Amino acid sequence: MNAWYFFWMANFVIAGSAFAVIAIVVAIRGVKDLREMFANLRAESKRK
Amino acid sequence: MATHFSSLDWAIVCVYVLATMLTGLYGRKFVGGISDFLVAGRELGLYIGIATLAATEIGTITFMYYAELGYKTGYAAFINGLIAGVVMIAIGRTGFIVRRLRAMRLMTVPEFFEVKFSRRLRVFTGILVAIGGILNMGVFLRVEGTFLAIISGISLSHIKAVMTAILLLELVYTVLGGMISIVITDFIQFIALSVGTILVTIWSLRAAGITHMFDAVKNTMGIAGFSPLKNPEYGWAYIIFQVLVWMAVHTCWQTTAMRTFSTKSPEISKKVFSWAGFIFLGRGMMPMMWGIAALALLGSGQNSLEAMPRMLATVLPSGVLGLVVAGMLAATMSVNSSYLLGWSSILAQDIILPLRRRPMSSRQQVMLNRVANLFVSIFVMVWGLWYTLPGPTYFYLNMTASIYLSGTLVTVIAGLYWKRASILGGYLAMAGGAVATIAFFFFKVPASYAGLGAFLLAGIGMLAGSLWRKNNSDAPTISPESVPAR
Repeated sequence: MNAWYFFWMANFVIAGSAFAVIAIVVAIRGVKDLREMFANLRAESKRK
Repeated sequence: MATHFSSLDWAIVCVYVLATMLTGLYGRKFVGGISDFLVAGRELGLYIGIATLAATEIGTITFMYYAELGYKTGYAAFINGLIAGVVMIAIGRTGFIVRRLRAMRLMTVPEFFEVKFSRRLRVFTGILVAIGGILNMGVFLRVEGTFLAIISGISLSHIKAVMTAILLLELVYTVLGGMISIVITDFIQFIALSVGTILVTIWSLRAAGITHMFDAVKNTMGIAGFSPLKNPEYGWAYIIFQVLVWMAVHTCWQTTAMRTFSTKSPEISKKVFSWAGFIFLGRGMMPMMWGIAALALLGSGQNSLEAMPRMLATVLPSGVLGLVVAGMLAATMSVNSSYLLGWSSILAQDIILPLRRRPMSSRQQVMLNRVANLFVSIFVMVWGLWYTLPGPTYFYLNMTASIYLSGTLVTVIAGLYWKRASILGGYLAMAGGAVATIAFFFFKVPASYAGLGAFLLAGIGMLAGSLWRKNNSDAPTISPESVPAR
């Protein structure tokens, strides 16, 4: 029982930490992605 | 039950919903044609790709059914989160299925069936996808409404009106801006739901205490609360079924596949999956921990679906409660808007369009998709009000998805990687998967056996059909590699 518990808790710690870190990175760098998407969509629209 | 939900919390929620609505409407001006409307012009970069994929597949309903599993099956429930995350990371690392699908520049999954097999098989698959997907989404409003009712203290009759209003708001920006509006709002919603998820996890652990949670699971369930092999709800058949389900969900589930199709390139789609897989680990395990905290704080006598929101209503202070509800609403709106677009695109692109004799212009297709959006919304509202779930929400969602996912996964793999795969094999795979799944609803077959049976029948159907009859010489033979990616 204890082995399973420690296995799940280790998974939980990894999952929670990864979730938090990726969320922060995406929140910061996603803005640039969004801007690029708008610029490309505008350029495509003008080209048409 | 008492809740700390106050006017401050209402203000936070209202400001958030209004801001989302306005942002969503901004996307409208970028919609030029059907590829903008359905796959955002295939312009998604890595980070926005992760945000929209995660926001689409993390909803209040996700928190509710995973917390329910945590409450009912303890730490053993973590096997579900582990499989979902690891399978996604493996798909991202290898590019299995997603790289080739993205290279084909599709907009829907059934479209692949026409490219590789035949138009009729596309329509047949489209019908199964639409039935499975819309039934799946049909319970969202009820489950999400239950959460909101308990946490805010509003009566269930008023909640129906609130949920209808939220659905209509989502409908407005989805109908006008399609995938572009959804991607923009998903980005904001991803941030809000991430803050909400982390806050709730911290508060739940602090309120219940890690030792108390361990004791509660041990005393209530014994070893079954820790080992998925000893828990009667799980076992090896269930684990194998879940690996197959998640492989299918990550590659062939229309809302997920639309993110694959929307990325800038096959390589970006692989990276999105590799990183989003870690989000999917947390997406499962964190709400399961909330369910275990509810077990520790409220005991085992609660309604399993309602235990988690009841616990949150009592442990979260005013202000934090508003932030959390805004986060949950964010999750709700991102999921519902993406699912509305996903299932309505199947109705429009894979059923109505192929059955029409005259082709439609890009603009007309956008209009058709908008009408289909409206139809799906009305169905979801009506179904959500009267349907009663036959068992745990998670199993219902798994089974409705399996109606088409088992056959689709088998047919897509065969179509991409097996030259001999034939149209007859495709029909038999789709029909076999659907029949086994329907057995779950009518004959009360356990979910894991029905689900595994669905994949098995689909595989046998593909193998037998393809070996029995080859494709006609005029059948399409387009190779995924021959289609340039944009």
